Amino acid sequence: MAETLQNLALGFSVALSPPVLLYAFVGCVVGTLVGVLPGVGPLAGISLLLPATFGLNATNAIVMLAGIYYGAMYGGSTTSILMRIPGEAASVMTCIDGYAMARKGRAGAALAIAAIGSFIAGTVSVVALMLLAPPLAILALRFGPPEYFALLLLGLLVLAYMSGGSMVKSLAMAVLGLLLGMVGIDQMSGYFRFAYGIVELGDGIGVVPLAVGLFGIAEVLATAGQETPPEVLKPRLRELLPSRREWRDSVMPIGRGTVLGFVIGIIPGSAHIIASFVSYALERRLSRRPEEFGRGAVAGVAGPESANNAATSGAFVPMLALGVPSGPIPAVMLAALMVHGVAPGPLLIKQSPELFWGFIASMYVGNLMLLALNLPMVGLFVNVLRAPYSFLYPAIIMFCVVGVYAVNGSVVDVWIALLMGALGYLLRKLGFETAPIVLGAILAPMIELALRQSLAMSDGQYGIFLSRPIAGSLLASGALLVLLNLLSWMARGLDWRRRLALTEKGENL
Amino acid sequence: MTQLRVALAILSLGGVALGQSAAAQEPYPSRPITVVAPFPPGGVADLTARPVGAAMEKALRQPVGVVNKTGAAGAVGMQFVATSKPDGYTLLLALSSISIIPEADKLFGRPPAFTVDQFAPIALISADPTVLVVRAESPWKTAREFIEDARKRPGQISYSSSGIYGTLHMATELLSHAAGINLRHVPYPGAGPALTAVLGGHVDALASGPAVVLPHIKAGKLRALAGWGERRVAALPDVPTFKELGYPEAEFYIWAGLFAPRGTPEPVLQKLRDALRVAVNDPEFKSAMDKLQTPVAFKQGEEFQKFFEADARRLAEGVRKVGRIEQK
Amino acid sequence: MLTTDRIAGTALCLLALFVMEESRKLPLGTLRNPGPAYMPVLLAALLVVLGALILAMGRHSTPIAAVGWSEARHAAVILGVSGFIALGLERLGYRLTMLIALSCLVWLVERRRFLVAALFAIGMTFGSFYLFDTLLRVPLPRGPAGM
Repeated sequence: MAETLQNLALGFSVALSPPVLLYAFVGCVVGTLVGVLPGVGPLAGISLLLPATFGLNATNAIVMLAGIYYGAMYGGSTTSILMRIPGEAASVMTCIDGYAMARKGRAGAALAIAAIGSFIAGTVSVVALMLLAPPLAILALRFGPPEYFALLLLGLLVLAYMSGGSMVKSLAMAVLGLLLGMVGIDQMSGYFRFAYGIVELGDGIGVVPLAVGLFGIAEVLATAGQETPPEVLKPRLRELLPSRREWRDSVMPIGRGTVLGFVIGIIPGSAHIIASFVSYALERRLSRRPEEFGRGAVAGVAGPESANNAATSGAFVPMLALGVPSGPIPAVMLAALMVHGVAPGPLLIKQSPELFWGFIASMYVGNLMLLALNLPMVGLFVNVLRAPYSFLYPAIIMFCVVGVYAVNGSVVDVWIALLMGALGYLLRKLGFETAPIVLGAILAPMIELALRQSLAMSDGQYGIFLSRPIAGSLLASGALLVLLNLLSWMARGLDWRRRLALTEKGENL
Repeated sequence: MTQLRVALAILSLGGVALGQSAAAQEPYPSRPITVVAPFPPGGVADLTARPVGAAMEKALRQPVGVVNKTGAAGAVGMQFVATSKPDGYTLLLALSSISIIPEADKLFGRPPAFTVDQFAPIALISADPTVLVVRAESPWKTAREFIEDARKRPGQISYSSSGIYGTLHMATELLSHAAGINLRHVPYPGAGPALTAVLGGHVDALASGPAVVLPHIKAGKLRALAGWGERRVAALPDVPTFKELGYPEAEFYIWAGLFAPRGTPEPVLQKLRDALRVAVNDPEFKSAMDKLQTPVAFKQGEEFQKFFEADARRLAEGVRKVGRIEQK
Repeated sequence: MLTTDRIAGTALCLLALFVMEESRKLPLGTLRNPGPAYMPVLLAALLVVLGALILAMGRHSTPIAAVGWSEARHAAVILGVSGFIALGLERLGYRLTMLIALSCLVWLVERRRFLVAALFAIGMTFGSFYLFDTLLRVPLPRGPAGM
């Protein structure tokens, strides 16, 4: 413990030195910006600014890139809450309840809770990172294809809790999403599936065009032509802060979101995006007032936003402790380290303590900076809503298009976003939820790959899922959950779901 | 009023066209050059492209920018350059997969995204031989033990790769055919996950570029058994090559080279070659490559042509031998 | 009577059947070694079932006429302009395309004053270009005359 404090002191001395502070600040600002802009997410931001870091020393470079990463998680909630447009794919869930809160005039409260939840999650998870990095990393390595398959199967269960209304309709949307995820090169056999000769579809339908189209563009299409522009109750200054009840309602979700996000972030290859989806479903399941979800439940904002930020810290665990990337963003950061002559690997912490501890300390500082940046901006952002919608929505379309294009420089992505926008509009009119589509599209290729990899590993034996301890226990707990749910469902009858479905019929979401 | 506008528009368009054709007469290079890296940032192609671009900028005295056009294991970027104007302003930094992708397309009976003869090779920049790594706790201490064991238990030893028909997969397949062994392949979506799989014990072996595994070898987590190169890897002097062990057909390099679209005028190509020759001797470039632990292996003209063709032939053979997995 | 659920259910069933048909080109594999067609076919089968369920229970949902399509024409126009942006982005270059698209939307569709629309379009276009191309270094396509 004393050693940790000593190291932390070393870290802070590095982190609080003016150049490192400056680069952390630049990273945070760029990250917030990148997060706010729809489409352009942290991966695009980091990739674009990677060359700019070549002239810097290793610590400055890594501090700036990390700032972009977790800064984007702060900024992503802003457009989600104010305009129902995800700033990046991970903010999709915040769109649902965050925007509903904004419609009720609680935009300021939503933004504040998102910022504070992000801060708490970010800080707490950095502490966990600091104390637990090496042992956690070793645990993370134990996750192979059978474990992923079991975990993702559990993730599919989550889909059942994501939306209210008809179970059949949500399932249908989930399956639609799963099918969309099948487009692209099949990793196991090399066949191009459903790509029709378009090379750009080789990697599948990207999550970013999908999310931006289904939520952002569809939103504009549905709202722009309305007789009366969207009625947003202009909040007064006092109403910008959350009420006491809202605070109370967000404490537990923030806590749960932090733990959940951190754990998901550690597991390599688990797509940190799903942290927010899982958190939303968890909160909905645990809430005493599940009918509020979709209508402005504070927990639906606090949980996912915290999970997002905790996942970014979790992602750093395998990266720093073992030199192993847990996702595409840590992979870019590892490359940045390599370019600067710091060899990432198990010896990084020992060989470059100033780097590791400076990085950790700067994350504390960065989170503080972001809180300071975001909270006062709440008032500023809410004022954006006052612009007349006739000007607002063309600007939104422009940002969506540029944001989607910026990710890969590909017009195909723009077309996908537009098509998904049209689809999202139609689905809303017909009364279907679109969030399960995004989750399905993310999970499908991962589940299929994990299954087939596991079978390749075991030469076709399905027993591999039960013989490996982690996979086996995950599957067992999943089966247990399903069983418990079935029992309680039968016991309570279709009561609360039918009540929900009836109340929702009156609204055309 | 509208007629005037239309006339003005036509005039300005004409002026632009004139301007563009006038530019074509100017000496090369007179505009910024774009080097397309067909892989995501942080990958081998990208990290090689940037120092190359920076060094060439000095030699050509024009900005040389690197653009990432990712997708389909590099096919998107490669197709983009194959179909762009052969005026020397759009170049491609390709990895050895340039020879693999069209073969794979042929195997599946699809119209190829591009073909190798749509490119004019300029020069080779680096060529890293892959090395076979296993976990330190594995029972195989030498490559011979590994191959012996693989012969005794066909299909039982597993290896990971960065993707089917990818560079790491093809390297291992070449070994399997050369040594007459049968290994179980578990594809992963990229070199990073493939490395994680070996470290976590989910597969037994991996053919990897040396740079990424060096820190793990030094830390005692991985053991390198043999290399696919003609010569031993400089950073791993104790690791024999498969050639030394008696399997000369197991030769594979993850190489990076600069290409231009076919039809680029010869004087332009020559200028680029000269610039590249100066660039690889640039001290900043050398130090950048050193940091990446990737030795420079400059080959150009005839030498590169021969290397490229031999490599392409080897890989095409390899892909055909692998065949379509489903038909096994 | 055409209700939303009936239409949706039918569309989902048709999509699922289409996927199954397209998957015939790919090898199915076996249960122990699933091929590329395995999961799509499985999912499509599931979708057919779900779509049929939605169709069957569709009597109670809202009739299609009652949904309220007042904004549909407006939405179609916006989609059209967005399609133009997608087409023009790499042919006409970013700035020219955006200028035309934004002016079109604000002046023609939203019927705002020409001067206001023009200023808005110019400001947004060049502002965003600066933000993305210069600050964030995202290469945005340039068309004729370097636009």
